[in-house]
Amino acid sequence: MTQQLDLLDIQGHILRAYGRFSYPMARYVFFNIRDSGKARRFVESVTRRVTTAVVWGAGVNDVPQPDWTVNIAFTYQGLKELEVPRASLMSFPPEFAEGMKHRKDILGDDGPSAPEHWDPVWQDNRETRDKDVHIFIALNAVALPITEPSAVEKSMAYCEANLQAAYAWLLAEVAGANGGVVILGGHRGDDGELLDYQDVKVVTENGLPTAKEHFGYTDGISDPVFHGVPYDVDRLIGRGKQMDNGSWAPLATGEFLLGYIDEAHEYPPAPLPNLLARNGTYMVYRKLHENVASFDSYLKQEGQKYPGGEELLAAKFVGRWRDNGAPLTAAPDAQSKAKFDAAYAKADSAERDRMLNNFTYDADMSGARCPFSSHMRRINPRGSLEMGREDTDVPGSLKKMAGAFDTPGALSNRRRILRRGLPYGKVTDRTTDKGNHGIVIMMLNADINRQFEFVQQQWINYGNDFKAGNDKEIILGNHSSDPRFASRAVLQVDPAGDDVPYILSKIPRFVETRGGEYFFIPSMTALRMIARGVIDPT
Amino acid sequence: MANVSGNAYGLTILSPIRNGVVRGAEISHADAVREKLQAWNHEFNSPMASVPQTYLCRFYVLDDVVTQSLPGGSALDSLTDLSPYIPDALRRWALPAEDHLQSAYLVFSSNLFCGPAGTPDAYLHGMWNAIEARVREIWGHCYGFDEVRNVDDFVGYMKKCQLEATLFFVGSNDAPLEEQLKALYLKQEFAKFAIDNQGLPAAQLRANYAAFVQRVQPENVQGPAWQPGQYRL
Repeated sequence: MTQQLDLLDIQGHILRAYGRFSYPMARYVFFNIRDSGKARRFVESVTRRVTTAVVWGAGVNDVPQPDWTVNIAFTYQGLKELEVPRASLMSFPPEFAEGMKHRKDILGDDGPSAPEHWDPVWQDNRETRDKDVHIFIALNAVALPITEPSAVEKSMAYCEANLQAAYAWLLAEVAGANGGVVILGGHRGDDGELLDYQDVKVVTENGLPTAKEHFGYTDGISDPVFHGVPYDVDRLIGRGKQMDNGSWAPLATGEFLLGYIDEAHEYPPAPLPNLLARNGTYMVYRKLHENVASFDSYLKQEGQKYPGGEELLAAKFVGRWRDNGAPLTAAPDAQSKAKFDAAYAKADSAERDRMLNNFTYDADMSGARCPFSSHMRRINPRGSLEMGREDTDVPGSLKKMAGAFDTPGALSNRRRILRRGLPYGKVTDRTTDKGNHGIVIMMLNADINRQFEFVQQQWINYGNDFKAGNDKEIILGNHSSDPRFASRAVLQVDPAGDDVPYILSKIPRFVETRGGEYFFIPSMTALRMIARGVIDPT
Repeated sequence: MANVSGNAYGLTILSPIRNGVVRGAEISHADAVREKLQAWNHEFNSPMASVPQTYLCRFYVLDDVVTQSLPGGSALDSLTDLSPYIPDALRRWALPAEDHLQSAYLVFSSNLFCGPAGTPDAYLHGMWNAIEARVREIWGHCYGFDEVRNVDDFVGYMKKCQLEATLFFVGSNDAPLEEQLKALYLKQEFAKFAIDNQGLPAAQLRANYAAFVQRVQPENVQGPAWQPGQYRL
């Protein structure tokens, strides 16, 4: 008997990247609790409208796809203000209790990413009781299907109307709470104004909505697939875990949901009682500003020197080509890319998905195709971390050293993270880093410390696991502006060939943190129990 | 039978909860059962207090079985574990599969007075007659309960779901509930009497005790006593 998930007990936000289910716009709203009893009634009322992970459409369940979705999460302080019992609060992990701001040294949120540069809502958080972020509510709005370019405007207007309806509903709920909760303002808007919410929206290209962010890359292609998610069963290849025989298996549910067996074949540490934790998870919310001018000029400057040219260099930063997301492992140069594009143009959507995801680093252990410091390889090294070399090997080469672990991906299977969220803002002037544009990324995992914080500290801001010394991940790394500690990254070449590696030097900081926090996303059962005040940890 | 101890009975019922969504709502049957049971906390008393002869009972929803470790093997497996000639894949293949329930279960565990009959029939009759509507509200989410039309169907259904386990709570003997409640009442009242009358002259003490006995009526189980489900003074 395989694992059955109670999709009706799991918040939809966890299992669905809404953007992929035709919700191109969202609004995130944050609250401060002023009265515990009234706040619990607010939570109870909101819970009745919360969107679950149920399979939509006619069929067994017959639950229609909603025009707008509602999901809710809480910070540690929020749970405290809702009067979750002390013994339950103490059973939450320390990093969740501390919060993202106070984990800045581990996360590398320094220099321009330091909390003093964050949006006011995040700067003020965890300073005074009345400015603390307690509750997060996400509203995602659905758009009409776009069959032709002329339908875009109508589709997005429909989406906008849905978002307004959702926000009007939320404001009515807040009014109904009679001062029990207040909305926290202080999100920087497009013209520097401070807003009561954080809006996010897909980036359009030539008037058409895309899955791209402001640097031009397609985001979130290889989101993990784990046991029990019905709408992901045909998305396993390249997204699950790499097995010995070249096949792919879904990751253990416990890596992403509390109350289930994880990749170590044990239950992840979770708050008590079990009903509070089960079917819930943790969310890391980060608002990341993108320095488009620094990115464009650095790419141009290095692209003139780099033998493969600017666009290949852009692909080397991430591991995928910017136009269609082709992985460098399959299309390492212009010639192979042209072949890839020809096949891609003819492929149906299932085949395209396979072309983008079905690869390993087995044939690229030395990083000649996809560099060790590229975004994709750092975030999910697949089966490539168990590497080494022998004295007789060609200098600079690395190969797979199998045998120490159960599966080739054992070292990365415990570090996978679900990525949610959308870009925010609009780039109006690519010659300046200033402005309001970036991505709001929400990373979901069962253990913030083991998964998100580890990846951020060890794989993004450090390179040792990739035999790359202290080279940082090129796009997200907290590159220093101090010339004494200038960031570098090596773009490897075939160790047996005649080419020489290209060294990127003085990498500027492309991405800066603008705020964020750690949240707990409870199950529907836990939400009802929190609202009723019947959490009993004994 | 192992689930009978004198006149006390340890009743354990596991009823499979229907999979899927409650019609017209975005909630699964298992979660709906749990929500309804949790709401009982907010009633003045549990509906089960109205069911005659309940010593103590509890409900919970069993979502799935819990895994405690990798499935264990036999002594032979330990030997093959150590042998370098057994390939890892073969060793894994031979391990038992991970088990899961096909549905969540409603677990109802009750300790009750069954009398010399030694069966739960009378108790289940009493339960149906006392709280039929509340029973339907909970068990209505379970497989096959829509076939239950009357008290006999109910007893039959519950017996089909019965697990003959010796799950007894401590802190109770096997006397009828009324007698136990009366005994608890007397114990508490007598302690109060002893404190209130400490150090009185013998004649006064005797007179007060006579009045006490008349008030608490020790021989009369129908007289003053605790009420079933009473936990507030």
